[in-house]
This record gives sequence, C-alpha cells and structure tokens, in this order.
Amino acid sequence: MSMLAIGVTGLNAAQLGLITTEHNVANANTEGYNRQRTTQAANTPMTTGSGFLGQGVNVQTVQRFYNGFVAGQVATSATRTSELETYLDQVTLIDNMLADPSAGLSPALQDFFRGVQQVAADPASLPARQAMVSATESLVARFQSIEQRLAEQYDSVNEQLTSHVDLVNSLATQIAEMNQRIVVSQAGTGQPANDLLDQRDNLIAQLNDEIRVTTVPQTDGTLNVFIGNGQQMVIGVQANRLAALPSLNDPERFAISIVGGPTPQELPESVLQGGALGGLLRFRAESLDAAANSLGRIASSMALTFNAQHALGQDLLGNISGDPAFAGNFFQLSAPKVVTSLLNTGAPDITAAFIEPPPLRFNNGDFSVTFSAAGYEVVSQKYGIAAGTIVQPTLELALQAADALPGVPAIDPASGSFFTNLTTSDYRVQFDATGANFTVTRLSDQAVMGAGTVGGPALLFDGLSLAVPTTAAGPNDTFTLQPNRETARNLQLNTAIAADPRLIAAAGPVRAETAAVNTGSGKIEVVAVAPGYVAPPTGAPLQISFSSTPVPNQLTINGSVSANITITSGTTTVAATAGVAFTYGPDAIITVDGLSFRISGAPKQGDSFTVQRNTNGVSDSRNALALGQLQTQETMAGGKTSFQGGYAQLVSEVGNKTREIQVTGEAQKSLLDQAIAAREAQSGVNLDEEAANLIRYQQAYQAAARVIDVGSRLFDVILTMGR
Amino acid sequence: MRISTGMMFDNGTTGILNNQATLFKLQNQLSTGRRVLTPSDDPVASAQALVTTQSQSVNKQYMENQGNAKAQLGLVEGNLDSLTLLLQDVRERSVQLGNATLTDKERAFIADELKSRFEELVGLGNAQNGAGQFLFSGFQGATKPFAVNPNAVPPFVAGANAAVDYFGDQGERLLQVEASRQMGVTASGLDVFMRIRNGNGEFAVSTLSNNVLVPAGQTNAGTALADQGTVLDLAKWSASPVQPQDFQIQFRVDSTVFPPVTYYNLVDTASGNSMFTNAAPTAGPPFVGDWKVFTPGQAIPFDGLAAAFGTDLGAQVLVTGSPADGDRFAVQSSDNQSIFDTFQNLVTIAAQGVPVSPGGNTEFMNDLGGQITALDRALENVLRVRATVGSRLAELDALEAAGSDRDLQYSTRVSNLQDLDYAAAISDLSRRQMQLEAAQASFVRITGLSLFSQI
Repeated sequence: MSMLAIGVTGLNAAQLGLITTEHNVANANTEGYNRQRTTQAANTPMTTGSGFLGQGVNVQTVQRFYNGFVAGQVATSATRTSELETYLDQVTLIDNMLADPSAGLSPALQDFFRGVQQVAADPASLPARQAMVSATESLVARFQSIEQRLAEQYDSVNEQLTSHVDLVNSLATQIAEMNQRIVVSQAGTGQPANDLLDQRDNLIAQLNDEIRVTTVPQTDGTLNVFIGNGQQMVIGVQANRLAALPSLNDPERFAISIVGGPTPQELPESVLQGGALGGLLRFRAESLDAAANSLGRIASSMALTFNAQHALGQDLLGNISGDPAFAGNFFQLSAPKVVTSLLNTGAPDITAAFIEPPPLRFNNGDFSVTFSAAGYEVVSQKYGIAAGTIVQPTLELALQAADALPGVPAIDPASGSFFTNLTTSDYRVQFDATGANFTVTRLSDQAVMGAGTVGGPALLFDGLSLAVPTTAAGPNDTFTLQPNRETARNLQLNTAIAADPRLIAAAGPVRAETAAVNTGSGKIEVVAVAPGYVAPPTGAPLQISFSSTPVPNQLTINGSVSANITITSGTTTVAATAGVAFTYGPDAIITVDGLSFRISGAPKQGDSFTVQRNTNGVSDSRNALALGQLQTQETMAGGKTSFQGGYAQLVSEVGNKTREIQVTGEAQKSLLDQAIAAREAQSGVNLDEEAANLIRYQQAYQAAARVIDVGSRLFDVILTMGR
Repeated sequence: MRISTGMMFDNGTTGILNNQATLFKLQNQLSTGRRVLTPSDDPVASAQALVTTQSQSVNKQYMENQGNAKAQLGLVEGNLDSLTLLLQDVRERSVQLGNATLTDKERAFIADELKSRFEELVGLGNAQNGAGQFLFSGFQGATKPFAVNPNAVPPFVAGANAAVDYFGDQGERLLQVEASRQMGVTASGLDVFMRIRNGNGEFAVSTLSNNVLVPAGQTNAGTALADQGTVLDLAKWSASPVQPQDFQIQFRVDSTVFPPVTYYNLVDTASGNSMFTNAAPTAGPPFVGDWKVFTPGQAIPFDGLAAAFGTDLGAQVLVTGSPADGDRFAVQSSDNQSIFDTFQNLVTIAAQGVPVSPGGNTEFMNDLGGQITALDRALENVLRVRATVGSRLAELDALEAAGSDRDLQYSTRVSNLQDLDYAAAISDLSRRQMQLEAAQASFVRITGLSLFSQI
C-alpha cells in the first residue's frame, strides 16, 4: 500500500465526516432528527517482516444516536401529555362557561325565586305575576343556553373524533409505506437507513400523540404498531383503518371502530387511552356527561318539586286541582330519555317516568331515612317497628315497605315539602335471552337497581320508574336510560301559564274560618294540603261543630267527605266518620280528604268552624310562599341539597376536574420535558459541537491531503534521482 | 450534560412563555379584582361563593319583604290609629249623651253626628291599600269586606241583626320575612271590627227587654243601675254545667214591713227555677229561703247555687240604686257585638232619647252604660290588635338590623372567597416582571454564543 493510497483513505473518511457534520448542521431543526456520526476504523494492516504496517482508515457506517429506551419514555409521556392537553382544552370550555358569575345558572335561579317572592308579596298583582313569568322564561332560557353549549361540545367531540381518526389513518398508512421503504433500502445495503428510521419514528410519535400505540420491531426492519390492548394498526406493510361511527348503544355519540373485517368492530372506550383520542373520549365520559346530567338533574328536580307544590294551589281565577282550567304543572318536563341500541332486534314498549316527588319528611318526621352500605334504611322512632329498621335497595321500595307496616299510618305526604332522589348517572336496561326479563344497572357504580319482567310491576329506583307493560324485547336487547341528559334542553314554562299569568297558583285551595258568632277562643288553621286532596264543593263547606256537654271536647264534621277522617294526636291516629262526634285533643291534626287542619285555643259549646273553597281568595299567597321556600329547602339528591347546592356541586366538580387535569398535565409536561431533555442530550444536534467537528474533519482532510502531497513529493524525489 | 442547540432555544422560549402566562393571569386578576377567575382556580371557594351568594340574595329578598311588610303593617297601623281616635271621640259623645241636662233635641243632634261617624267607621273598615286591595278582607283582597245590612233591627248584635255584614274571611296575608318566619301583614276585619264580646267578655248584663232599643218591652221602674259584672274566677265560670249562661237577677220589695226590704233572687231563664234551690222561686211575701236581702251598692255574687247550676260561678254584678218590685236584670253569656252594632245601638239610643215612663231615665242610663262598656271593649280590642301590629313592626326592625348585619357578613365571606389580595398580587407582579426580563435578557445572551461566529 502506498502512502498515496493511505492518504486517499484519510481524505475519504474526512470527507464523509464533513458530509455527516454538514447533514447534522442542516437538520439541526428537523423534527425527529437524530444526530449522526461516521464510525471510522483502521484498515487491516499489512504484515511485513518489520511488523504490521497500517493501511489507512475506512468508514464502517453512518450511525444515528438513538436510544430506544429514552425514546420509549418520551413516547409514554407524550401520549399522556397529549391526552391531558386535549382534555384540558375541552374541560376549560365548560370551566370558563361556569366562571362568569352573571352568565351561570345561579343569577337566573335567584331572579326566578325573586319573582316567586314578588308574587307571594302581592299575589293579586298582575305585574308581579307577569314578572314571575318573565323570570321563569329567562331561567328556562338559561338552562337551555347552558345545555346548548354542552350539546355543542358533544357535537364538537364527534367532529374532533372524526378528524383525529382521519389523521390516525393517514399516519398509519405513512408508517406502512415507510416500513416498505426501509425494508427495501436496508436489504440493498445492509446499512441502517437512518433518515428513513428517523422519519418513521417521527410518524409513530405523531400517531402516539393521537392515541397510545405499542410497537414491536420485526427482523426485516419493519415495525408493527398496535393500539388499545393489541388491536393491529400497522402490520408490516399493511395498515388498518379506524373510523368514527355512531356508537351502537347510543347512536348520537361517535365511537371508534376498527375497520378490518366485513363489519367495523366498535372498540370499547376503556381500551382507547392516551393521545388526543383518549383525551376526547375520557373528557366526554368523565366530565361532559357528568356536567350535562348534573344540569339536567337540577332542571328535573326543580320542575318536579315545583310542579308538585304548584298543583296544591289555587290560581287567581279560583281554579284548583281537578278543575279543567287549572294548570297544575308550572313547568313542562320531558320524560327520561331511553336510547335504543342499534343491535336490538325487538321493540319493547319501555315506559320510563319520573316518580312524583315524595315528601321531605314522613309522617311528620317520625321516619328518618339514611343510606348505608346495606341500602336505604327507614328507621322509625315512634312506631315500634319490629327491627326498628327497614332496609331496601331503593328509597322508593323502603318507603313502600314502611307504608305497608301494620300499625303505621299511611305515609303522609302532607308532612313536609318535596324532594327528588335523582342521580347524575345513566342506567343500562339489559334484557335476557328470552327478551321477557330485564335488569337495570346504574352505570356510575355498576350497582344493580333491580330486575323486572315484561308485564310486571314497574321497577322503582332513584326517583325513576321503569316498566315494560306488554311487548317483549328481542334476545339480549340493550337500552340506555338517560333520565337527565336532555331535561335542561326540553324544560319549558307551561304554555298556558305563559299566556295567562293569572294561572299561577299562588293561593291555597281552601281556607278555614271561625264562625263570626263563636264565643270561645278556638282558632282553626289549615296545616297542610296533600297531593290528591279533595276540596269541599263550592258553597258546601265542611262544617266542624264543637260541643262540650255532656261529653267534653267533641267535634263533629259535616259536609261532603269522600274518604274517612283521621285524627292524629301525637303518635296515635284514629279514624272518624262524617256526621259522628269524635273526641279531639289539643293540637290534634284532623285530616279530611288530604286537607289537614288544627283547632287551637278553647272553643265553647256551640262554636263552629268551616273549611271551604278559597273563593275570591285573590290576596292569598300561601302556596306562593311554599313555592318560594323550595329555594332553600333540600330538595335534591334524596333531600341532601338545594337547587343552588346542586349547581354549586356541578361548578365545583368541573372546577376540581379542570384543576386536576391542569395539575396532572403540568406534572406530565415536566416528565415529558425531562424525557425530551434526556433524548436531546443524546440525539440532539449541538451546533457548536458540529462547528468543532467541522474544523476537526477539515483539518483531517487537510492533513490527509498533505500526506498525499508529501507522498507525491517523495515520488518526485525518486524521479529526480535518476536525472 | 450535553445540551443540544434546539433545547437551548426551546427551554428559553418555554421559560419566557410561562412567565408571560403568569403575568397575563396576574394582570387579569388585577383588572377584575378577583382572585378566582374560573372555578378551576379554586373549586372549593367557587362552590362556597355560589352558595353564599344565594344566601346573600335570599337574605336581600327577605329584607325587601321586611320593607314590604313594614309598609303594609304601617298602613294597617295607620287605619287602626284612626279607628282608635274615632272610638275615643264617639265615647266622649256617648258619655255626653248621659248628661241629664241634655234635651232630647240635643240628643238628636248627637245622633246625627254619630250617624256620620258610623259612615266614617264603615269607610275605615273598607280601607284599601295602594294597589286597591281591601285591607281588612282577609284573602279576598278584591272583595269589599263590610256592607250595611238593611234588614237589621235594634238591638244590633252578631247574627241576623248585625248592623253590618262581613264578606271577607279570616285569612292572614303572609310575607316571608325570614327563613323560618312568615309574618302576617294584615289583620282580619272580623278580628278587628266584628268579633268583640259584649258585656265584660264572659257575660253581659242588660235590662231584659229594654224600652229604648225595644220600645214595646217591659221596663224597670226603679232606679237600679247594674254594671257589666266581673268574673272573679274564670275557671269556675267556665266550669259551669250550663252553657251558655242565661239567667236573671230578679228583685222583689216586701212592702208589708217598714221600712220595706228589697230582696233578690237568681232565676234560670230556661226553667224559671231559682238557681239557689233549683225549684220555682218562693212566692212571697214573706221572701224567705231562695230570696236574699239586697242592699243598694251591694255586689250580687253568683255563689251558693244548686249543684245543677255549678254551686259557685266565680262572678258578681254590682247593682246601685233602688230597684222597684219586679225589676230585673238579665245575665247572658257574652255575644259578639261588632263596633258597627255598638255605633248603631248608640245612634238608636240617642235618637230615641229618654223614654217618658217611670224609671225611663234609669232605663236610658242602663242601656247607654251597656253600649259604653261595649265601646270600651271595642277600644280594648283595637288596642290589642294594634299591640300585635306594633310588636310585629318592632320585630321587623330587629330583623332588618340582623338582615343588614348578615348581608355584610355574606359580602365579606364572598369577598374573602374570591377577591384579590392587591398587595400580594402587585408584589407578585413586580417579581414576575423581573423574572421575565431576566429570562429574556439571558435568552438573548446565551443564544448569541455560537462557535460559528468565531470561524
């Protein structure tokens, strides 16, 4: 080997070094680029008698600085960061919507009850009634506008799923193509196709930002990509496709399906994690559903309790419950939504309804209801129930059971205000293989609410009733019950009341009076009016006459009484009959056809009292006052919170979630930053370093050239020797 | 550690962006004055602020209702004040009626005045508030509560002969003035005007068929005047087996002796029996057994009666003057006599004048005395109602003070929950500003260093 030849190898190696360095400099800002280096090695030496003589240098390969482990860490952090960022983007929209103190539900709710109070202050005033109607309309509009924003987010999630899926498909196709090119490139040379590998890694990182992927390298240089728990996205040079399609169980929301076989296979949301797709799905399932259901629950609880109380009143025209012109429902509320699965084969006549709100207290507080692990426990303080406690899986069943106990008066709806027991969860109605039996599961905690049969009694749970009266379902049909999803959207003020504010039932339906000629100090007051009450006919009041001789404390009730009369004194309740005298004690509550009243003071022989229709009672505001009190009563969630409390809960849930995502996102971002720093430390281009390399290779090149020059001069010496 | 050039730029920009984001938020907080801009800034405080804001708004509503209640009660109080003055005026006139020096003509003038006072009274009863609602008609605000009964004949008393009929009811209009307090802001007309017990509240003493209000009746010929009696022991009075009470104090004068002795007896109206013996009164003279000696100015106790009449009724009537033989007073459980009835009775008495008959003057005085007592009871009743109105007004004052106190507390609470601590925020702002400037300066310096510029 000649000096010249050795010089040339040095020249070549330095040139390759310079090219690689220039390549690094040029790609300093290329996304996903890993810096490269030439790997040099000395040529095999020549064996001579004088020993081994070096034969110069060769470049073995161009190597990229790539650490699979660090890259994996970056990928793991990146997919999680992307998920959280997407989630945060979405949930911040709700957070901001609720942030505005003047745009939230709270001021509308307060204005509404202010309207109620104004009617209570001056029930005969049409302007006050009109103001209440207007306040109600703006409350309803506020419910609708908040719901509208949430509905837009549902649509937006659907659209974003579609566009992200498109991106996933495009990336998967590119990865498959890249696999193909890498196989071809590497097969030809046996050298790693560094820049192609970088590009493929970058594509995978991009895909990873969309959804978490796992990769498995193959011996031929291709990389298989899986999503979820092993669904094939890219196999060798083949890419599968995803599609965002209406979900089978709820066609209004899109789900991700993998398109492989003849029919797309819907992937459960639980397996799709990480990345923007995972973030969107998680946001929808965790926050959007909860927000929509919470809002709907406030709307339905308010409508149900308000309607229940409103129905117990009398409007300005003197109409009461039972009169054809009476508008009992103040709000119009839509029925719980039942969503049919696309896979269903039958069409059962599922009827779901909200249960009329039960009273807040039972039998004047003689029962208390607590919720424990065992279920709803109705505990009687007074009635000596055998075990003292009735445990049932649902509040409604517990109340029914308490009602049926011997010795206990029927649960008295007059003894308190109203509350609903609705939750923010959705429910699944699952039919068995025969289609004749079904079970209801609460989706939030997978608790089984009960089982029912077609034609059987209605299933009562969580403030809802569900029955399938006649038509059986197909085998294994599934339905989703979304009681509160759309109630905020569909809430309306009763159109009759909107058109005629005189129909607001501000007055009580009956009034009790002491006869003008009474000489005793006895006073009568109406204590309560219970749902389903029957008022005495107009002009035919209930006459209650008192006598003290020969038997003291005798009352006789005359008039139109359709059911028995009960007299509750302390813990004992006895029955009486119209026209027959009965003994009554002080503070006894007399209940006739749902009307409860009490006579206090000391009546005298011959005194009489009347309970009659509240004819012309235009200045009476008893019912409006009862309606106004609903504002602060614990009317929701089984009597645990008020409307405003329910809204505060929604705000706090969204706020907490947003904060949680923010904090987790920041933590994840710093993890990602660290991982990227680690990767950059190894693989990133440092221009100063490259500048140094440039000088180094330049000098090497110059040296090699000088070696050739020296060799050439030496050769010249030899040539000139012969001259 | 090896640093890549890209990282140098990335880290520098991230630092600057972070500082800018913080500054932006601080600026936002400073310009709005709120620490909590979105619920996520402090979820717990946001929720609490919502609940507190509602409490504050509800409290404000209660305070508004309190003002409303005050106005309405003030209106009622004003009317009751006029009513009190009216009653006092009429009482003065009535006392004047008893003046023996007055002629019947002069009494007729007073009668005319009382008639116009009666119209005034009806006007007060039918008072309306600013919205045209009748004050004293209970729930039936649009119904005129009082109308003159054209068919009534004297004596006017509750029932068919009521001078004025009541068309309202006993409903009390309520306002929610506190979370757990509904306050009545009206008084029922029945309570104020109508349901006033005559006599002493338990029983009334009258000359049985007085010739002033009932001209055809039998008159007392003597000079005896009875007061409206006194109940000494209400329990005994109430425990009487006879309800309602209706008996007579009868007087006989034994003229067979000199000087003549006056006796009295208590006779049950229904049976005609003496209540002392539960047998027909002894025919006299001599008046023995059930007849008791009467001394003018003596209180006649309803005591020592037969068991059937309750032995001791715990009450007495003071009779002054000398009754004539056969004179009597009726004692009857009190009836309700409205203020209107009393006024009309007084008008009738004034218009009739003193009857021309033996004992006519006594008769006149007894009747007038009965009606003046009724006026006193009416006044007492109005004052009672005014007292309840007054105590409600006082309660409203207390509630108002408590309400504004609470309002302040709620404001403080909401402010504590979501308002910005300016001092902290401004110092934070300057700190962040410094930090950003440092980040910017260092970024320019560090990124300006390049080996390429040296070669």
